[in-house]
Amino acid sequence: MELTDADLVARVLADEDQHAFGELVRRHQSSVRGLLRQLTRTDIALADDLAQEAFLRAYKNIRSFRGEARFSTWLYRIAYNCFREDARRRKELVGVDEEQWQSEQDPQSVDPGLRHDLMHALSLLPLNERTAVVLCCQNGLSHDEAARVLEIPLGTVKTNVLRGREKLKRTLAAWAPN
Amino acid sequence: MIDDETLDRQLRETVPYIDDDGFTARVMASLPAARRESGWLRAAILLGLALIGSGVAYLIGAGHGVREGIIELANFPIWLLLVFAFGCGLVVGAFAVIFAIRKTPEVRDLTRLEF
Repeated sequence: MELTDADLVARVLADEDQHAFGELVRRHQSSVRGLLRQLTRTDIALADDLAQEAFLRAYKNIRSFRGEARFSTWLYRIAYNCFREDARRRKELVGVDEEQWQSEQDPQSVDPGLRHDLMHALSLLPLNERTAVVLCCQNGLSHDEAARVLEIPLGTVKTNVLRGREKLKRTLAAWAPN
Repeated sequence: MIDDETLDRQLRETVPYIDDDGFTARVMASLPAARRESGWLRAAILLGLALIGSGVAYLIGAGHGVREGIIELANFPIWLLLVFAFGCGLVVGAFAVIFAIRKTPEVRDLTRLEF
């Protein structure tokens, strides 16, 4: 019988069982690294460094996980905080950089495949909308869970998801043939 | 224009599985060393239990030595010895159950304890 995340967390808490924590890392590394790649706009090296930092923080602070939310939600929150702190350090959270980055992008250079179009359209969204769309639409978090991860009001999450979706649909419609 | 459901489905399908490729090993290597129960604590527990056992043996002997005490114990009625053995079994069993619950997450979940 496969142990649940809660079982593995309990083993880490009871015995500081690093093998159990290793299993948690193996289970969630793909989604956490994927989230951070989206947030860092596919900067793979930076995303992996942040993911490593997030798992290290999770291990050190695992006693603060009370099982009220899913382990993955708790992990996303730590990963998002790592990203936010790093972005603050790099001063990438200001709107000027977002606009500048968007103006540098050339839609004509994008691969014509739908997947690439979608990924590119996603990367063009402002950070707050991109994060909300990635968490809710791509990773399947509820609006409530995303609000907890991002530490913002529920209404703001809903608005960001709505705006992000609309922009994605508009962008994809413009790229569609005919 | 595509609808919300199609867009969400496309978004989910665009999420590639990222191969571990040594990532977990790097994380594990960066973790602080696990804290081990110190050796002196184990030694103190063993020494304490030995002292308690010695004290009990002395009391049973009523100061006349362990050998005399065991001879006196043999003269006790059989039902009293059975009750004594049953009581010892209960105490040991209780300790074993507590230890098992403390060490086994699955059992702990059944008892609905918070962690």
